[in-house]
Amino acid sequence: MSLNEPIERRHFLQALGLLGAVATVEGASGAAHRLSAAVRVTRADPGDPPPIPNEVVQRIYAERFQGRPIQTGRITLDIPLMAEDGRYVPVIIESDLPQTEEQYLKSVFLIVDHNPDPLVTAYHFTPVLGPLKLQTRIKMKRTSWIRAIAETSSGELYADYLKVETSLNGCG
Amino acid sequence: MPETGKTRIVLPERIGRDEVIRVQVIVQHPMDTGFFRDANAVIIPAWFIHDVRVSYGGEEIARFEWTSGVSKDPMLSFQLRAVREGPLTFVWRDNRDREYTGSTEIKFAAA
Repeated sequence: MSLNEPIERRHFLQALGLLGAVATVEGASGAAHRLSAAVRVTRADPGDPPPIPNEVVQRIYAERFQGRPIQTGRITLDIPLMAEDGRYVPVIIESDLPQTEEQYLKSVFLIVDHNPDPLVTAYHFTPVLGPLKLQTRIKMKRTSWIRAIAETSSGELYADYLKVETSLNGCG
Repeated sequence: MPETGKTRIVLPERIGRDEVIRVQVIVQHPMDTGFFRDANAVIIPAWFIHDVRVSYGGEEIARFEWTSGVSKDPMLSFQLRAVREGPLTFVWRDNRDREYTGSTEIKFAAA
């Protein structure tokens, strides 16, 4: 417990700081905002998701989503302030979708368009989990859109997209 | 010395029945992508956890597909509904087919 608690606490405080920053600077059009000297994070317009960038991401979409429509909203992706180091990019994914026996989040997919293996993680859940509030750390090879896509038990898809500019290659 | 597969699970100190709790877990693993070289310019082979199974009271409650795109010494936190007392167990499997297990007990605080 003593091993990771200080690290975790630090990340959590940074995450809180970012959420505050996003709330204050994010414009109605999802305009780019500068988070620090080294990092820029841009949120996609709800009506304008980023285009599929390459065949690998195309294949992930075909396999996992089978051409079903993906709505923007109901899930939020946030990146705290440390993304200048591509080896440790903290990620927070949250959702207000219910987690009950009748209706729940079945899966969450995290895709980094320009990573060697773009589907960085896929999480599969059951109703016993609480409402989605997930934190982890991922690697980024270079500046890229990141996609968080949630699938409900009834097969609906919800997404949020962030463009994260990072300088230090974390993938090799 | 790193101890690959060593798992730390952090839960709230007091847990009430049916409470939604935050579970934090960290596992020691290099999560090598296979694209980096060591100091002697020799490729460090890919070595990463790709399959995670989470069980609670003997029942599988979550499964995670990971790649080497997850950071070294993976850290994850998520919310869980504490519906029963019992073990919360993580089984990590990597691309060398090694398996590591970390477990803790979920117990309800006395009223």
